[in-house]
Amino acid sequence: MSNGLLGGIRVLDLGEGVSAPYAARTLAGLGADVIKVEPPGGDYARLSGPFPDGSPHPEKSALYLAMNAGKRGATLDLDADSDQGRLLELVADAHIVIDNHELGWLDERGVGYESLTKVQSDVILTQITPFGDWGPYAGYEAGDLSLFHLSANAHGMLGPVADPDSEPPIRAGGHQADQVAGVAAVTATLAALFRLRTTGQGCHLVVSSFEAMATQAIAGLANIAFGGDSPTRQAAEIKEASIGGQVAAIGGVLPCNDGYVAISPREDAQWSRWLDLMGNPEWSDDPKFNTRTARQQNSLELWELLAAWTSQRSRFDIARDGQERRIPCFPVNTVSDLLTDPHLKERRFFVSIDHPVAGEFQYPGVAYRLSETPLTLGSRPAPTLGQHNDELSFDRLRTNV
Amino acid sequence: MMSTPPLSGVRVADFSWIIAGPTATRHLALMGAEVIKVGSARRPDPSTRGSAFQVYNQSKKYAAMNLSQRRGKELALDLVGLCDVVVENYAAGVFERLGLGYDTLSQVKPDMIMIASSGTGHSGPDRDYVAYGSLLQHYTGWNSISGYPDQEPIKGGLWADPWVGMELAMITLAALNHRAETGTGQYVDFSMAEALSASLPEALLEYQMTGEEPQPIGNRDRFAAPNGVYRCRGEDSWIAIEVYHEGDWQALCSAIERTDLLEDPGLSTPDGRRIRENELDAAISEWTAQLDEWDAFERLQKAGVPCGPSLDMGGLHTERQLNSGGYLTSVEYPDGSERVLPTLPWRMDGQRTQDVRPAPVLGQDSDYVYRELLGLGADEIEELTEGQVIY
Repeated sequence: MSNGLLGGIRVLDLGEGVSAPYAARTLAGLGADVIKVEPPGGDYARLSGPFPDGSPHPEKSALYLAMNAGKRGATLDLDADSDQGRLLELVADAHIVIDNHELGWLDERGVGYESLTKVQSDVILTQITPFGDWGPYAGYEAGDLSLFHLSANAHGMLGPVADPDSEPPIRAGGHQADQVAGVAAVTATLAALFRLRTTGQGCHLVVSSFEAMATQAIAGLANIAFGGDSPTRQAAEIKEASIGGQVAAIGGVLPCNDGYVAISPREDAQWSRWLDLMGNPEWSDDPKFNTRTARQQNSLELWELLAAWTSQRSRFDIARDGQERRIPCFPVNTVSDLLTDPHLKERRFFVSIDHPVAGEFQYPGVAYRLSETPLTLGSRPAPTLGQHNDELSFDRLRTNV
Repeated sequence: MMSTPPLSGVRVADFSWIIAGPTATRHLALMGAEVIKVGSARRPDPSTRGSAFQVYNQSKKYAAMNLSQRRGKELALDLVGLCDVVVENYAAGVFERLGLGYDTLSQVKPDMIMIASSGTGHSGPDRDYVAYGSLLQHYTGWNSISGYPDQEPIKGGLWADPWVGMELAMITLAALNHRAETGTGQYVDFSMAEALSASLPEALLEYQMTGEEPQPIGNRDRFAAPNGVYRCRGEDSWIAIEVYHEGDWQALCSAIERTDLLEDPGLSTPDGRRIRENELDAAISEWTAQLDEWDAFERLQKAGVPCGPSLDMGGLHTERQLNSGGYLTSVEYPDGSERVLPTLPWRMDGQRTQDVRPAPVLGQDSDYVYRELLGLGADEIEELTEGQVIY
């Protein structure tokens, strides 16, 4: 009966887009029984791509397929009284409800936390919000882009630029802010579930996506708290020369004859092994480069010397030979490189999932392997719209699982 | 009324160091677990050098234990016997070579949960690879989809470690729930590289669906428009503005006093707006350039447009939502100084159910661990200290 770490736990995912669906997808990967409840028109992520051959189709959105694999799906029109009742029937058999609609959305539909506790007294309701339901910004709106920028993560992402007045800070690719909020929500939800087991107490949990993204910046926040300055984006003001946004003594990205290699021989022992890899060039003992501090001060010159050597070689050869000497270095890969990576293949990181409309693709798995409860990640594709409406017809629900 | 932090009663032996592992146990400590960080002056945690140590190790205890000595390893086993969770993030194989592998530890404490995090995980041909989070962003292609459109991807950006830290805390909690249900412990083999790869699902599917390598799109969205970051009045001052739904579009046009754009049928769909995004950017910038970023923020939010200023770290630290809402909170140090530091990004039943204390210094809780927990006598503790086992 038990499946994964969360066998026997039922989750209702009322969310749309990324943050709440990603949280619920994570719980499904851990073995929870997740039912996605969509409006009759479908989660708006179905409209977003990427799509096969660029042609939009509500059952073929890569974003939707990735965020909702592992779930069953039902459609309910929560603007209608009858479907609000059906939702409460589902809640009566659920442990966790996750949502990311705007504040008040659930209450306005008669399915707020108070209503849920009437049918399931110890339910955990997890609401992912941009700013929480407290403070001056309660009720304000922000999505992935705004949250990435507000949380100071965008300022650090790009590294120094020549002209900060014309080159704006940028966010990272994908939906990182929404996913950060999603993982924070899973963490908080599992803490609440753990407390429920010991105290019998359910919980109304409100996650602030802004705070979750600030948690990505705790090192920077500590630097300010202890008297540091905000790093400037103005390249000309950076005292140490940098290699692609990183201080050269710490590490950087170097050109190769087939792309780039990322290296970080930051400790003295690692640096000496790196010199060994380069055949101990004549300048090795030059006082300009023979200490970490000196390398930092002369990093521009050092960069030229390193690049002249790496650009004659392959990124894969440098990474392999470097790692043999226990130097932290990796090839700079593209997304497609990852799909054929032998290491990930042997770890069976990618899982094949066959969707009845979109077809079969390799989906990324999870970062964890468990010794006692192997996960069954590839067993269920994202639901087609309303796919399990019959199966979840509500008098049959209890006997079905 | 302050309710009990959710992980009260859980004890964690924390052998991790640098960033990702300590970040995970930081979250557990703030959630109320008793986290005992174990380290030695023989090989100090490299992060001790900087102020970030003060957040990576918030709310923990810190005992000195020299694992290079046989007696130090024995004491580590004794401590593990009293813990629910063990966390380590050495390069793969290092902890095993110290004689502290899961096989050994689980004999001491069969229902223990061991979290072992490394750059590339504990199996596979590259399991011994030495890694830092910044390098793994390149290895996994994470950086390859970040950057301005039509330019090379970014070379820097520090993202991996805090992301991994929250994921590690998450999987620890999942395993704790499973143990509470079944009584079974667990060895968790965690790969930082896989945590990054798993955060790019739509890019990985895009390549398979289209045969084309996913490219950086900067501040754009591939579906919704307009999405961008716009210049405001003042030095390096910017605001992010996002239009997803039709209501957002109407609200934006009204806020920037360009309701004429709503009359343009070509701009009535996301596709239409995306094709003319440069033209829309110009119209929006014309408005934002007149205002400072907070003025623009308030006006747009009042109209219902999702947006936010692009802050630097100093701006984030003084930001009023974080300070008034209790996420940033003043922490008092033993010397009487106070520092405003981050906590956990959620509220339970309207409360911050968290245990916030300053980061410890090495050895500060050695007496607690050796005398109170392990029951050693004063003479033995002195002997171990002189012999640099407690070191």
